[in-house]
Amino acid sequence: MGALRRAWIGLTGQFAWRLRPAHMLRSFSRTEQGSALDMFAAVESTDRRDIRKKYFRHALDEWRHAGIFRERAREVAGPDAVESGREEAGMLVEHGIVGGRTLFERLGERDFLAFVFVAEADAVEQFGVYARHGLLDAGTEAALERILKDELFHVSYSKHELDRLSEAEGAAAARGAVRRIRWSRFKEGYLRLSRDIGHGMSSLWLLALYGLVLPPFRLFARLEAPGWQAPPTEARSAADALMSEA
Amino acid sequence: MPQVTLGVSALYHDAAAALMIDGQVIAAAQEERFSRLKHDPSLPVRAAQWCLDEAGLSAQDIDQLIFYEKPLRKFERILSTSIATFPRSALSFPRQMKAWLGDKLWTRNRLVEAFGVRPERVGFSDHHRSHAASAFYSGPFERAAVLVADGVGEWATTSLWRGGPAGLEPLGEVRWPHSLGLLYSAMTAFLGFAVNEGEYKVMGMAAWGTPRYREALDRVGRLLPDGGFALDLDHFSHHWHPTRAYTDRLVALLGPPRPPGAPFALLDPSASAAARAESQRHADLAASVQSWLEDALLHVIRHAHQRSGEANLCLAGGVALNAVANHRLALEGPFAQLFVQPAAGDAGGALGAAQWASFGVAGRPWSPSRFRPDLGPSLDEGRVADLVADLGFPCEALPHEDALLDRAAQDLLSGQVLGWVQGRAELGPRALGHRSILADPRGPDTALRVNTRVKLREPFRPFAPSIAEEQAALVQLPPAAAALGPYMTVACPASDRLREAAPAVVHVNGSTRPQLVSAADDPRYHGLLRRMGEATGLSALLNTSFNLKGEPLVGSATDALATLARCELDAVYIGPLRVGRPPARVLGG
Ligand SMILES: [Fe+2]
Ligand SMILES: [Fe+2]
Ligand SMILES: [Fe+2]
Repeated sequence: MGALRRAWIGLTGQFAWRLRPAHMLRSFSRTEQGSALDMFAAVESTDRRDIRKKYFRHALDEWRHAGIFRERAREVAGPDAVESGREEAGMLVEHGIVGGRTLFERLGERDFLAFVFVAEADAVEQFGVYARHGLLDAGTEAALERILKDELFHVSYSKHELDRLSEAEGAAAARGAVRRIRWSRFKEGYLRLSRDIGHGMSSLWLLALYGLVLPPFRLFARLEAPGWQAPPTEARSAADALMSEA
Repeated sequence: MPQVTLGVSALYHDAAAALMIDGQVIAAAQEERFSRLKHDPSLPVRAAQWCLDEAGLSAQDIDQLIFYEKPLRKFERILSTSIATFPRSALSFPRQMKAWLGDKLWTRNRLVEAFGVRPERVGFSDHHRSHAASAFYSGPFERAAVLVADGVGEWATTSLWRGGPAGLEPLGEVRWPHSLGLLYSAMTAFLGFAVNEGEYKVMGMAAWGTPRYREALDRVGRLLPDGGFALDLDHFSHHWHPTRAYTDRLVALLGPPRPPGAPFALLDPSASAAARAESQRHADLAASVQSWLEDALLHVIRHAHQRSGEANLCLAGGVALNAVANHRLALEGPFAQLFVQPAAGDAGGALGAAQWASFGVAGRPWSPSRFRPDLGPSLDEGRVADLVADLGFPCEALPHEDALLDRAAQDLLSGQVLGWVQGRAELGPRALGHRSILADPRGPDTALRVNTRVKLREPFRPFAPSIAEEQAALVQLPPAAAALGPYMTVACPASDRLREAAPAVVHVNGSTRPQLVSAADDPRYHGLLRRMGEATGLSALLNTSFNLKGEPLVGSATDALATLARCELDAVYIGPLRVGRPPARVLGG
C-alpha cells in the first residue's frame, strides 16, 4: 500500500503544486493548526502526567508550522492575492471537536498515540515525495526543511511511547492500534474523496434545477421593500409559536 | 420540579449555550472557547455539556431546548431571494441548497441527536426576538424600547420591540436585503478585513480619517422619511453572491478596495507620500461608513422613540457592538438611558432564546437587575497546579489576597504584561478582567509593546482601559450611557488627565472605551486597580482580551499556558497562582 500511496501523492502533487501552490500551502497550514488543536486537547485530557510535556511541545511545534506555511503561502501568492476571510477562519472541520469530543477523547491514549505516530510518519513521507519529485520551489523547500526536523521528532517520540505501551500492554495491542488507525485513515481518505465527488455532482444537479425550475417563479418573486414594515402577524399563541420551526 | 431551559445558538455565527433554571441564568458559554475555532458556528455540544455539568444536571433534565431562530423561515428567505435574483444567484444557489438540504433544514433532528433531548422538548424562538430578549431581560429597566440591528436573522435586519410587564411586543421591522449590518460588513470587506471579524478594525481605523465619502455613501444607503433606510442594491451583492458583498458599481463610486493586509502607513514615518495618501484614503473610507452608520442609527432610534413612546432603550444585535456609535446614540439620541447587551452578537441569542421561553412564554416573574456577563467556566485550581507542574512552568502560589494583589501590581508597575485569568469566563467578545491581558497604561510605548510583542494585531487599533469606579471622572461617559460603564460597550472622550497620563488607552481622536469596575462586582480586580491607584494616582489598567490574533479568548488552563508560551507575556495569574515564563526546553523548536 505504501508504494501506491507514494505514487498517488506524487501524481496529485504534480498538479496541485503547479496549479495552486498557495492553496496547497494554506491547506497544510490548516492541517498543522488542526493538529496543534488536537495536541493541546490531549494535554488537557491525558491521565499520564509524564507525557503531557511532550504533547505540549508537540502542539507548539505544529502551531509554529502552521505559521511557517501561512507565511510561505502569502509569499507565494504575492501581495495582492485576496485571501478570503472564510479560508482564513479555517474551517478545521476534521480537527478539534467532532461529535462533541476531541480526537484524544474519541481514541483514548493508546490509539491516540498510534494516530500521532501514523499521521506524523505519513506527513514525513508526503513531504519526502514532494522533495524527491522536485515539485517545490526553493523557498518552500527551505520552509519544509525547518519543519521536517520537528516532524521526525514527533515520529520518534510517539513511536517510543507506543513501544513503552507495548511493554505494558503487549506488542500485539500496540500493533493492532497502528493497524486500526492506518485502516481508518485510509477509509476516511476514501470517504473524503467520494464526498468531494458527491458534492461536485450535487452542485451540478442543483445548478440544473436552478436553470430549469426557478425561471418561471422569477416572474412572481420580489425582494422586500425598504423601510419599516409591520411585524409579521401571528395567529398562534406564544407557546404554540415557540414549538414551531416556521 | 425546577424548570430547566437550555438556549442554543448555532449554525450561522457564534454558537453558544445558555442554561436557565426557574428563570435564573445559571451558566452560558460560547462553543469557540472549547473548540478553539474563533466564531465556531457548530452545534455547541461542549458548551451545553459544560452548562449542564455546572448545574449538576444531565440531558434528561432539560425541559425545554430553545433554538435561537426559526430555520424554516430562514430557508424561505434564502429560497425566495435566490428566485428573485435569478440568474445572478447561480453561484450561491447550489451552495446554499447543499447546506440547507443536507443539514440546516433538519435542525430539530440535529438538536435531538446532538443534545440527547426528546423532539417534543425542542422549541424555536426568532432570531431578532432572541436578541431583543437578551437585551431587555438582562437590562436594568422595568420597561423600554428594544432595538435589534444586525446583518440578518430570518427576514428582519432591524427590529423594534416594546418590553414591559406584558412581555416583548413587536412594533416593526426592516427586512432583508436592506441591512445596516450588511452595509457595514460590505465596507469591512471593501477595506480588506474579514467580515464578522474586521468590523472593529473599521471602527478603529475610522478615527484616523475624515468622512469625505459621506455623500457617496448617502447615495447607496438612503435614510427614509418613515424612520427607516434603503440600500441601493445595485452596489451590493450580499443577497446573491456567495462570497462577495459589493459590486463593481461600488468600486466605481469609491475607488479601488483596500487589499487585505495592506500596511497602514499613517503610523510609519518612513512610508512614502503615496503610501500615506493611500492609507489616508482607506481611513477616510472607514470614517465615512462609520459616520453613515451613526447617523442611520440615530435616524432609526428617533423613530423608535416616537413609535414606542418609551423613555429608555435596550440594544442588541451585532451592530450594537459599535461602541463609537453607541456614544452618539447616548449623546444625541432621544432616550434617557441606554442598555446594550454585552453579548450583542449571536452568542447572546442563546441567552435570549432561553430568557424568551422563561419570561415571555412561560410567564415567569421577572424584574430588572444588573447584568453580569461572567457566566462561563472557571478553572479548577488543583488541576491548574498539576498542569503547571507537569509542563515545567515556574509557579508561585499566593493564597493571601493581599500578597497576590501586591505581587501583581508590582509586576505591572515594573512594566510587565500579564495574563489575568480569574473567576468565570465572560460571555461575549469583551474580556472584562476575567480572561484579560493587563498592562500599566502609563508608558508611552505600552500600546506598541502589547501590540507587537503580545497581540500581534494592527497598529492602528486602540486599547481600552479598566478603571476603578471611584475614578470614573477619568472618562466622560454621557449620562444616558451610565448603565454601560461595566461592559466596554461605549466609547467616550477621555479626560485630559487620562489622555496625558495613559496614552496607551486613548485613541488618536481622544476617545476611550472604558470598563468601570466596582468593588461589589469584582473585588479582586477592583483591588488590583486600587493598588495601581495607590502607587501611581491612576486606578487604571490597559485591558485587552487574553488571546492571540485570530484565536478565541483562552478557555482551559492549557490555552492560557499555551498563549504564555507563544508570545512575550511576562506571566499569567490563574486564580492565586502566578505562572512565569517557561524555560526554553519546554518550548522546543
Ligand atoms: Fe507539523
Ligand atoms: Fe508533526
Ligand atoms: Fe444576529
